Amino acid sequence: MHTKTGRRLLGLSMAVLSAATMLTTATTASYAQSVDLSKWSPEYVKSIAGTKKFDAAKDCGAVVPNDYAGSVSYWYTGPFEADPEIAHVQDKAFWEAFHAAYPNIKTDVQSITYNELLDKFRTSLLGNSAPAVIRLQILGGVEFAAKGYLQPLKPEDVGYTAADFWPGALKSVTYEGVSYGLPTNNETMAMIWNAKVFKDAGLDPDNPPATWDDVVAYSKQIHEKLGIPGYGLVAKQNAGNTPFRFMPQMWAYGGGALDEAAAEPTYKTVEINNAGSKAALQAAYQMYAVDKSVPTSALTNTQGENQAPFIAGKLGMMIAHPAEYAKMTDLASKATGSDKAVADEVVANMRYGLLPTGPDGKRAVVFGGSNIHVVKPEFVQGGKVDEQAVKALICFWDSPEWSTKLAWVGSNPGNINGFLTDAMKERLDTIKFLDVTTSMLPNGIPFPVIPQAPEIMNIIVPDMLQNALTGNMTVDQAADDAATKVQAIVDGGGGI
Amino acid sequence: MTMELSAGAAKRRGAGGWRWAGRIFLVLLLGFTVMPMIWMFITSLKTGFAAMQYPPQWWPAEPTLDNYWRLIDPSGTVGRDFLQYFWNSIWVSTLTTILAVVVAVPAAYAFSRFRFPGRTFLFFAVLLRNMFPAVVFLVPLFILMKALGLVNTHGSLILTYLTFGLPLAIWLLKGFYDNIPVQLEQAARIDGATRFQAFFLIVMPLSTPGIIATSIYSFIGAWNEYIYAYTFLTRHDQMTLPVGIQRFFSENATDWPGLMAATFMMSIPVVVLFLVLQRYFVRALTEGAVKH
Repeated sequence: MHTKTGRRLLGLSMAVLSAATMLTTATTASYAQSVDLSKWSPEYVKSIAGTKKFDAAKDCGAVVPNDYAGSVSYWYTGPFEADPEIAHVQDKAFWEAFHAAYPNIKTDVQSITYNELLDKFRTSLLGNSAPAVIRLQILGGVEFAAKGYLQPLKPEDVGYTAADFWPGALKSVTYEGVSYGLPTNNETMAMIWNAKVFKDAGLDPDNPPATWDDVVAYSKQIHEKLGIPGYGLVAKQNAGNTPFRFMPQMWAYGGGALDEAAAEPTYKTVEINNAGSKAALQAAYQMYAVDKSVPTSALTNTQGENQAPFIAGKLGMMIAHPAEYAKMTDLASKATGSDKAVADEVVANMRYGLLPTGPDGKRAVVFGGSNIHVVKPEFVQGGKVDEQAVKALICFWDSPEWSTKLAWVGSNPGNINGFLTDAMKERLDTIKFLDVTTSMLPNGIPFPVIPQAPEIMNIIVPDMLQNALTGNMTVDQAADDAATKVQAIVDGGGGI
Repeated sequence: MTMELSAGAAKRRGAGGWRWAGRIFLVLLLGFTVMPMIWMFITSLKTGFAAMQYPPQWWPAEPTLDNYWRLIDPSGTVGRDFLQYFWNSIWVSTLTTILAVVVAVPAAYAFSRFRFPGRTFLFFAVLLRNMFPAVVFLVPLFILMKALGLVNTHGSLILTYLTFGLPLAIWLLKGFYDNIPVQLEQAARIDGATRFQAFFLIVMPLSTPGIIATSIYSFIGAWNEYIYAYTFLTRHDQMTLPVGIQRFFSENATDWPGLMAATFMMSIPVVVLFLVLQRYFVRALTEGAVKH
């Protein structure tokens, strides 16, 4: 057992090292590097957790005095009913702590669901009724920066430095050389599978598929042996879940929407119809249309629709956050009677592993997360932005302690110092598999940092999948069609 | 020994067969219609885990009312917000209905009783708005509401809902007024009533079923509307139910039992409205206005 774990760790470290080298090369030119990526591994993450104490109220008090009186309006996607209880607890604790640290700052907070936030923000900007501060998914900010809605914001404005954040994350808030926000949390996902399903299908229950070709083969085997979907393919149109799950496959095969996977991306070269992209699309087509080894409802599925069959033992594997484990544990804890035993068994059979590699050993994952931004006064409700109150809120939200606690189940702290906190140690101790998803960070590839990224990722990529999977177009035609559309909007046509 | 059926008996037997077939068809149709509601209710009694089981539990092994309790418990965030959404929906739908009826009643009466230049054109022009999908008017109406300073207010919804509620109300009510014999009003006028008196004392009571049927249509239209409410409102304290219950969807998960409980509760006012006013509704569809 120990030997096996040791071998896996060694392999993992090697993979991380190679990816890290690539990422470091790509980013040190722009930002000071506070993270030793060459050491980044599950063991390293565990070793630094709980080694340093921070005091958000005191540290932020040095940026904005704690007795400052003012007001700030804020929109974000907070915890909702389907989220684990711990997310609600941490959210509530944050606001209590903030109001204790800044008793004279009034907050007007709106928690808006993930799928509504971008649309609602666009609408509010048109109506000059936007909030002063907003936290958006990593894909969202650059669109608004390019349109002139956001104020420049850099780490130093709120008492931090560039070295306190992941370089890739800072890239995601930088448009034409200007920083328009700060990363609040960063996330990378992993492969989650049901060990019992693997075992029943004659697969190794303790190891995930090593390559994406294995995913296709495993999915087929699970479907043939057990009559259930093997892999939780997600292909819903206009849904963020789709690119988050398909792009890692595309990148691993050597493809991409543009050249975002390159060490020095220019975002000018369209790669959505190169050989690697087509190979990834072909693999998805093989699973959906030929082997029929993924859910028939994949065309309208988000990750939410994968949860039910997975927890019922009717789905073999899927890409997921550590939140998935927390969610399943949460559901199991609330199950009663005869359901309880079944739920506990499902949780016991959950396993996490690194995402598969492409044929050339390339491993990739979307460098996801959220960023916090400040809106220009003319678009804000009331026409004013209380700069000091804004700074106090952002400083507090992005402090090592709260950046970690607010990302409790689904993510990692945006502020890298969060990895040193007691909260991080507690997370690692209580959230099984967090070390796996965290160790995927160096493999993270940010979506293209261009205003058209949401349209490319949320619309063109899912449409391409739909065209291929439904047989509306051949794989080649679907990829070429997508390339034409990407080229058009990169050249200034189309766009949201 | 065989008995030959008379032609009448055979006809009756045939008719009986058709009757049974009709009944079976109606029962199947009822099942098809009601099944989603039943499944919604059953799911609302499950825990999150039980709702995700496959094969599905046709009746929860451990039924719970927790999902409903969460919605009506004002001490919790969900309950507080849900009750607020509920109240907002009641307020917006009721006000929309009242305004629609208040405006539609005289307008429909005018179309029914008066002859004036462009009457037919105007009458059809009223429906023009309803010939286009709601989304076509979304941006223009938003810009208009912004100019009026009504974004993030219920006023924006009420005004918008009137744009599609009014035409329907006018058309429905005109049909009712057309069926009320003009002689009744003329008789009242001969007895000394003014036109207004004749309208309020004779026509209005006779058109009550029609007004109620129109009110129900108007109320349900406003109650269920999503896209304008979603666009015009961002504040939780302003949201209506269709938008508010989005909170049961998270980035990577859905609280199905909670969502089903909320949806079931959302359907209650409409069902109650129908049950209470059913007889008026049926009368509106079947009754002539001539009294003998």
